[in-house]
Amino acid sequence: MISVADLLVDDRLPSNYFASDVYVQGTLELGLLENRRGDRLLALPDALMKAIVSGLNKETGQATKYVLKNCGLWWGKNFYARFCEELSEYYKKGVADLPMVEFVQALQECWRTHGWGRISLNTEYQLQGFLVIEVKNSPFTAHQIQSEQPSGALEGGVLQAFFSQLTGRDLSCLQTSCESLGADRNRFVLGLADRLQSAEALVQEGQPHDAIMKMLIQ
Amino acid sequence: MNPKLASLFDEPEKAYLQPHELNALSQLVSSLPDRINLYRRLRNEELTLMQAVADALQQKFAQESEDKLKRSLQNGMLMVRYAAMAMLTDDVEIVVKRLEPWLPEMIEAYDTRAIDQALYQLIREQFVSRFTPAQMTLLIPGLDAAQQIITPSSAANDDDDAEITSETLVSLF
Repeated sequence: MISVADLLVDDRLPSNYFASDVYVQGTLELGLLENRRGDRLLALPDALMKAIVSGLNKETGQATKYVLKNCGLWWGKNFYARFCEELSEYYKKGVADLPMVEFVQALQECWRTHGWGRISLNTEYQLQGFLVIEVKNSPFTAHQIQSEQPSGALEGGVLQAFFSQLTGRDLSCLQTSCESLGADRNRFVLGLADRLQSAEALVQEGQPHDAIMKMLIQ
Repeated sequence: MNPKLASLFDEPEKAYLQPHELNALSQLVSSLPDRINLYRRLRNEELTLMQAVADALQQKFAQESEDKLKRSLQNGMLMVRYAAMAMLTDDVEIVVKRLEPWLPEMIEAYDTRAIDQALYQLIREQFVSRFTPAQMTLLIPGLDAAQQIITPSSAANDDDDAEITSETLVSLF
């Protein structure tokens, strides 16, 4: 027989850790916005995002996307560590023991609560070795870096670092559709570098996501 | 607290509260002893109530895997805890806000919907047999909100979201 008492973890039922009304708190009299475990949060104004892109464009020209990608990689690596730490603290078990579905669900809620848009994982090409991450309403791609090119260098870096750590593989990330170019969402394809390389030219040509995927899985 | 009531306190600089606003507040305050009382019972009786439900559930789904039943029972306890809080604070929104983005996807991923729905009915039956109609009136808004969340229509998200199953992503690459 199932014992109901055994289903509780320290008398708790872990659920939606990142629920926005609980997760975002603050010591406002000190000017601090914090998450539920007391780490500082910042509200990032859109104008600052714009300023970063235009400042980098002015100073580094073509290098903007590489700088942003690097920032993203650094951020993603740290974000992964902190995300895992928070989850394992909350669930009272290591992230490795957490069912993947709960991990992914927490990631989605985390994204949403931070105001980074709605992230989802598309596993349609899983058997071919590609994972497609989709983000709607991203704040990070609103400002174009280069005309006619996807502008998710920062976001792509975060995702690349995050999923590389998660899967223990050295993944690459290629953005195949971008909200700044009128797409319904950003799409980032994650896979091994040598398999993604050939698709870069297609992105530059402005080929649609589906065509790029078709080529990739051939 | 019920967001409508909570919003009464938002703008003291605007005007003094009107009689009908103060009435709404008095109503909540006067119902508080009952709410606290019922909440206390829900808390104290959680394990016995849910154990009775669990036993009935196991009988009903004798062929089902224990893992799924456990998963479903956790969902059920969670719903009841949220419904209890909604009752205590007269705030159904808490059920919707916290569970809506999360629970339907869990139900989908673990494929427990049929069990969850049967479980919900069992919980409801337990409640009806234990609590007075007046107490049920206090509880029902939260329970209804929870039921909404586990019924398919509300789970159908606006798009083709992830089809992540409980297997690992590590096997992807």
